[in-house]
Amino acid sequence: MNGALSQVFESPFFGIALSICCYSIGVWLNRRTKSPLANPLLVAVLLIISILTVLDIPLSSYSQGGVMISMFLGPATAVLALAIYRQRKLLKNHCIAILCGTFAGSAVSLASVWVLAKAFGMDDATIASLLPKSVTTPIAIEISGQLGGQASLTVVAVVITGIFGNIMAPSLIKLMRISDPIAVGVGIGTCSHAVGTSKAIELGEVEGAMSGIALSMSGIITVVLAMVFF
Amino acid sequence: MNILGQVGIVFGICLLGELISAILPFTFPASIIGMLLLLLLLGTRTLKIEHIGAKADFLLQNMTFFFIPAGVGILEHVQLLRGRWWQLLVICFVTTILVFVASAGTVSAVLAFQRAKRRNRGSGGEEATP
Repeated sequence: MNGALSQVFESPFFGIALSICCYSIGVWLNRRTKSPLANPLLVAVLLIISILTVLDIPLSSYSQGGVMISMFLGPATAVLALAIYRQRKLLKNHCIAILCGTFAGSAVSLASVWVLAKAFGMDDATIASLLPKSVTTPIAIEISGQLGGQASLTVVAVVITGIFGNIMAPSLIKLMRISDPIAVGVGIGTCSHAVGTSKAIELGEVEGAMSGIALSMSGIITVVLAMVFF
Repeated sequence: MNILGQVGIVFGICLLGELISAILPFTFPASIIGMLLLLLLLGTRTLKIEHIGAKADFLLQNMTFFFIPAGVGILEHVQLLRGRWWQLLVICFVTTILVFVASAGTVSAVLAFQRAKRRNRGSGGEEATP
């Protein structure tokens, strides 16, 4: 690769511009096809991975801009508070249902991952890495570490789970015939943390707020359950 | 409030979240501490919606976009998945569906139960929130 070009790839603008381009293509494809598989996040990630691989651009070059985009995840999670605050009445009236839902989801998550991983004959360290895969990354890494798991494998599982949740949420809602926005939001937040929550926000204000609450509560519940049972 | 001021408030709260997260004796994500702080400030009326509204809506509406680098980062761990990538995909796929069904189903069931109970009690109870 010639010097000038690699210098361009090293610029943070490269990662940011590439991400915006690929995401826009994903959004466009999604509008054109209306297929859940044309998920903007999935399309953008696959496109970027392909481009980096084909042009032999190191991930570290992309990350110069990537870290700047990731930096917004913290503030984006924090301002979920505003979405929740706008729905505070609903939250207060239905706190028992919301709590039961996140608890059931967190328990099913741990149990089902354990059963499936055992069925696949995975070793203990791998199982420990996968157990917290439904909760937000920092909490998941902590649980994984305490159980003797591998942080990087946990991150991969968390991200894949999030993308699956983001893709499948609309179809699952239709399949399950769940019409209540509170149930939808809690379901998405519990099964696919913040990545799913970003889809819940697109579905509606109530869905987004409930998903935000569910992602924080399921994180806490999963910590407690993991420490008690594993 | 102007957008620079809003950015300042939101990023300042995030920084405070990082600080509290660093002090806490256990791991708790700074972003969720930031969320709780913001909720507290809004709840006590220290902060009004218009103080952060435009910035917050920008962040919320573009949240999916911010996850792209995390997804691309999987590339770094490809060798970890060698020989077991399809098992991992199956586990993530199946359990994500199960968890959604369990939690959304539970919420629906509890809400339905509460509505039925309220109806049985007669007309005394308040109507379900719209």
